[in-house]
Amino acid sequence: MSQAPFKNPGWAGNVGEYDLTEEQVRGIDFVGIRPLEGGHAAASASYPFMLEQKDPEAPLFEGPYEARFKKILTRYPTKQAAVVPTLNLAQEVRGHVSPQTMDRVGELLELSSAYVRGVATFYTMYNKRPVGRHLVQVCTNISCNLCGAQDVLEAFLKHTNTEMGETSLDRAFTVNEVECLAGCGFPTCVQINSRYYENVTAEEVPRIVAHLREKDDRVASPEGEE
Amino acid sequence: MGYPYSHEKEVPILSKHFGDPEARTLKGWKARGGYKALKKALDMSPDDVVEIVKASGLRGRGGAGFPTGLKWSFMPKDKAKPHYLLCNADESEPGTFKDRELLRWVPHLLIEGCLIGAYAMGAEHVYIYCRGEFFEATQVLAKAVEDAYEDGILGDDVLGSGQKIDVTVFAGAGAYICGEETGLMSSLEGRRGEPRVKPPFPAAVGVFGMPTTINNAETLAAIPPILKNGGEWYRQWGTEESPGTKLFCVSGHVKRPGNYELPLGFPLKDLIYDVCGGMIEDRALKAVIPGGSSVALLSAIEAENCALSYEGVIEAGSMLGCASVIVMDETTDIVHQVTRMASFYAHESCGQCTPCREGTAWVTTILKRIEDGRGTEEDLDTLVEVTDQMVGTTICVLSDSVAPPVQSSIEKFRDEYLALIRRGERVGAA
Repeated sequence: MSQAPFKNPGWAGNVGEYDLTEEQVRGIDFVGIRPLEGGHAAASASYPFMLEQKDPEAPLFEGPYEARFKKILTRYPTKQAAVVPTLNLAQEVRGHVSPQTMDRVGELLELSSAYVRGVATFYTMYNKRPVGRHLVQVCTNISCNLCGAQDVLEAFLKHTNTEMGETSLDRAFTVNEVECLAGCGFPTCVQINSRYYENVTAEEVPRIVAHLREKDDRVASPEGEE
Repeated sequence: MGYPYSHEKEVPILSKHFGDPEARTLKGWKARGGYKALKKALDMSPDDVVEIVKASGLRGRGGAGFPTGLKWSFMPKDKAKPHYLLCNADESEPGTFKDRELLRWVPHLLIEGCLIGAYAMGAEHVYIYCRGEFFEATQVLAKAVEDAYEDGILGDDVLGSGQKIDVTVFAGAGAYICGEETGLMSSLEGRRGEPRVKPPFPAAVGVFGMPTTINNAETLAAIPPILKNGGEWYRQWGTEESPGTKLFCVSGHVKRPGNYELPLGFPLKDLIYDVCGGMIEDRALKAVIPGGSSVALLSAIEAENCALSYEGVIEAGSMLGCASVIVMDETTDIVHQVTRMASFYAHESCGQCTPCREGTAWVTTILKRIEDGRGTEEDLDTLVEVTDQMVGTTICVLSDSVAPPVQSSIEKFRDEYLALIRRGERVGAA
């Protein structure tokens, strides 16, 4: 699996080989993966990784997540102020923020469900319904648009076989258009889950999609298991 | 040194360590002279720190260009209530990509700036509001904050001075409006990110009802070098009214887009043709947006003599904003790009004020109609009239931001609109 590297894989600005694992791409200049419990309380609210699937019947925050939730509460003078970080954490656990999750967050923070729904629906980053394993968000705002973002978006839709905002049948991809990602100097900027892909061109899209599918296969059947 | 490209004309102060992975670590940062400015500040009285910032003439880098020292001096002196400092790293203005570089390359510079600001204003808690999409940059910053806590730079006893300053990294959740200062406060309080009416100004009644100052990440990052070298030192660059250096985010049809740190007052022409290596495929310049999507477009002729300082860009007929230079060449379909900008505002309007909620939506609808070749010449007058009524009639300036790009494009590129309306001819869209 040694394809030519992408121009700029975008991870922390590191120009590394594309098909390395995330840890390898981060390499020496990445600050390291933070512990699951979120490290210091000051940073407890800022570790939002998405798409961790959990049993819907289980409590919202368990184990390290509960510890992180408690840390979040220590950083704000009011419980209400913790609502955005808590929703971030909930999305990390559940992959999306369902009405039930919003209710549960309301209970934890002593807020009404209606209030939490009001907040959650204001922010675009909360997925109000389940998304695919890879949430592909293509910036089509002006700077990227000038440099061919529309073609990139169409290429993603074509190669993942989905419609805009919808999830592919194999639940692998959700492709959406997004407003400026603040990567205007690296057009087209695409965010796939937590990671930015910079300088993406329409020609590169099939390879990115293939790479993500390969990654899924590796997760489905890890090497050396049998 | 800019990122990803650099140029000899740059004055690297903030961007000195962009692209240097070592500078992200606490050890590496200290080896590069980090936290010395903080030590110096802690040995001075808070008022003296404010005086140095005033003397430097540093102006807010978030777009409005308000003098930072003056803003800091508005904070009440009595400590009866907790004071807060908020760092605005929720950059979402289309065309702007400087804060992300600051967060991911020099997180300790930002923390140091926050601490100096907090000390000067008597704030015990600093919230750094990062854009939610910046997962990776936020992580780099969060790691830096953790290291600083472990090292005693943050916490109950900052560098042994007895001063208590906490820093919390807050990740947003994707709303442009949270970059507006009162919207940011609402969001931090756990509400919908809806701006509120000023006055009361944040210095009197801010986040959680307490005195608050909000500074852009780039403003705070500029504080440590100023403290270290003095206000006069900073004034050696830039113009009388706009001293110092600024990160210019250049995007669009140039050969080498990216962040470049240049003295304010730098000629726009040189930025495009020298620093950025000229236009892609040497095509002709058509228009430039000098300060992010909410300022007026400059035509190629206007761009010719424009100096990139706060006052210079106003003279040329636009605004510097956060110095996000978007360059468009002759192949650009202006109508399409303006429509895209308008739909951005329609998407991001928080919906509180009628002129904005309705105005952004209708402007977008009319522009889309024109783009589809179903427009009339009266539509252009309607657009000007509607956007006129969107200025100064709402709580925040999101609504006001729609008028400059729409009106300036109609004024300067009327022939393109007319070509679409009369003959269905689209410029540039091959």
